[in-house]
Amino acid sequence: MIDPHFTVSEDGLMTPEGTFSPGSPPAGIRRVPKGVDSLGTEHLIVNMGPQHPSTHGVLRLIVELDGEEVVAVEVSIGFLHRGIEKLAESRRFDQLATLMDRGDYVSAIHGEQAAALAVEKLMGIEIPTKAAWIRTLTAELNRLASHIVWFGTFGLDTGAMGQFLYAMRDREALLDILEEISGQRMMFNYVRPGGVLADLPAGIDRKILAFCDTFEVYLEEHHALLGCNEIFQSRVKNIGIVTKETALAFGLTGANLRATGIAFDVRRDRPYDAYPALEFDIPVGTVGDAWDRYMVRMEEMRQSVRMVRQLVAGMPEGEHMAKVPKVLRPPAGEVYASVESSRGETGIHLFTDGGATPYRYRYRGASFFTCQLFEEVLPGHLFADACMLLGSFDIMLGEVDR
Amino acid sequence: MQPDVAAVNRALAGLQAAIDVVEAPIGVVLRCAQKDASAVLKHLRDGELDCCMLIDLFGLDTGEKVEITYHLRSLSRDEDMYVRCGVDYDGNMHSVWNIYPSALLPEREAAEMFGLTLSGHPNPKRLLTTDGVPPLLRKAVPVRSAEEVRSG
Repeated sequence: MIDPHFTVSEDGLMTPEGTFSPGSPPAGIRRVPKGVDSLGTEHLIVNMGPQHPSTHGVLRLIVELDGEEVVAVEVSIGFLHRGIEKLAESRRFDQLATLMDRGDYVSAIHGEQAAALAVEKLMGIEIPTKAAWIRTLTAELNRLASHIVWFGTFGLDTGAMGQFLYAMRDREALLDILEEISGQRMMFNYVRPGGVLADLPAGIDRKILAFCDTFEVYLEEHHALLGCNEIFQSRVKNIGIVTKETALAFGLTGANLRATGIAFDVRRDRPYDAYPALEFDIPVGTVGDAWDRYMVRMEEMRQSVRMVRQLVAGMPEGEHMAKVPKVLRPPAGEVYASVESSRGETGIHLFTDGGATPYRYRYRGASFFTCQLFEEVLPGHLFADACMLLGSFDIMLGEVDR
Repeated sequence: MQPDVAAVNRALAGLQAAIDVVEAPIGVVLRCAQKDASAVLKHLRDGELDCCMLIDLFGLDTGEKVEITYHLRSLSRDEDMYVRCGVDYDGNMHSVWNIYPSALLPEREAAEMFGLTLSGHPNPKRLLTTDGVPPLLRKAVPVRSAEEVRSG
């Protein structure tokens, strides 16, 4: 889409409106019309990754370029494949959380939650209200930690170096809180079938509320520094448009789907744990471009802070773990449980045969479906925008390769 | 959350394929032959049930054959349903990517992990592992410790 502030004049000069006059030196970008250049050209194949800093992990893209423009993309994955689905078949049901931590390792609570929900659904375990509330609280804190990493790296992708440092400062405060709750910084291993591993430590509510107070101010600062920057806006607005139809066809979920204007959120539409008791809004985009994805995630962070405040204020008394046997043996059957992770719908499709380990454990990572969209969306954009677009979709290679 | 069986039968009326609609504990499950999967999915997507999304696609080793599950979702009706087809070991799976492009990568993964061949797919290469790795998610392939792998 052409920016209305610029017009393309007939001789191929792209000039700011009103500043162009014939005879003056060209102010703007010289666009050589196709076929004018007498030199022969050919497409260039660039291998991007698997260690390129802009791929956010070990993603490899094989990009075909025509000059600066991306013509075709092939996504090559599997560099982080650990066989989580196979390993789960030889793990007890309470050990699944450990594997799920290594899936989406930036928002690990959501994976653990999905695994625990699947086992509970199958065994008909009712978890105590307090356990559900603690889970939701840690899930929202983890969503904040994950979104703030996305914010920092998205800043890096668009050339805003400083945002990354500010983002890591805020994330560190969040990880300290999560460490105090679960005992681990990232690989929490905290949510188990039946509840959570340990009760909330004394005095954590004050720390969380103090964090919320500062973070709310910081978040607006972040947005003022990055989102209100005109250079950033011109980099992301109307770039990487994903229509509703494309999003549905490629199985997009989470913030990427909501940015196209479809208000589907597992937390509201398939509620689990404490979400039915919470008040929150679901932000949606209108265009489906990188800007909408940015704005949806920024608003999700505000909503997460809102939810965290409700959860701390209304934290019920009681047990943090239901009475469950030491070795869980769900009856033979199959079940699907899904949660809204930071990247979309994380789903666990669990098949059991009455034994102490899963028969088949299918881990649906949201990023796995998002990353195949690159082959559709990236062609037609400039190569520099391709790196920015990878950041705007916020994929996590741990759950792509599993 | 799940459609009623009568609505599914109505939606599939006029389709020349042997389809078994059952109400399993997980939801409504359609069983059909793998070669009919494309036609069935097209009916479900365009028909009254409005299954606009393929949420997931995966295989399962039942001990006799490989079962491919297509997990569909309708956002307008807020319903999930499943289409399931059996494929022989080393059998062929026909791609449904031109009905649901979201099947592109999961199909490659399922074919690789269960040792199936993939037809009608624009890029039917291995996805996650390298050449020579056995179909890992088959029950006949054991989970070996790192020691065993090193000593061959």
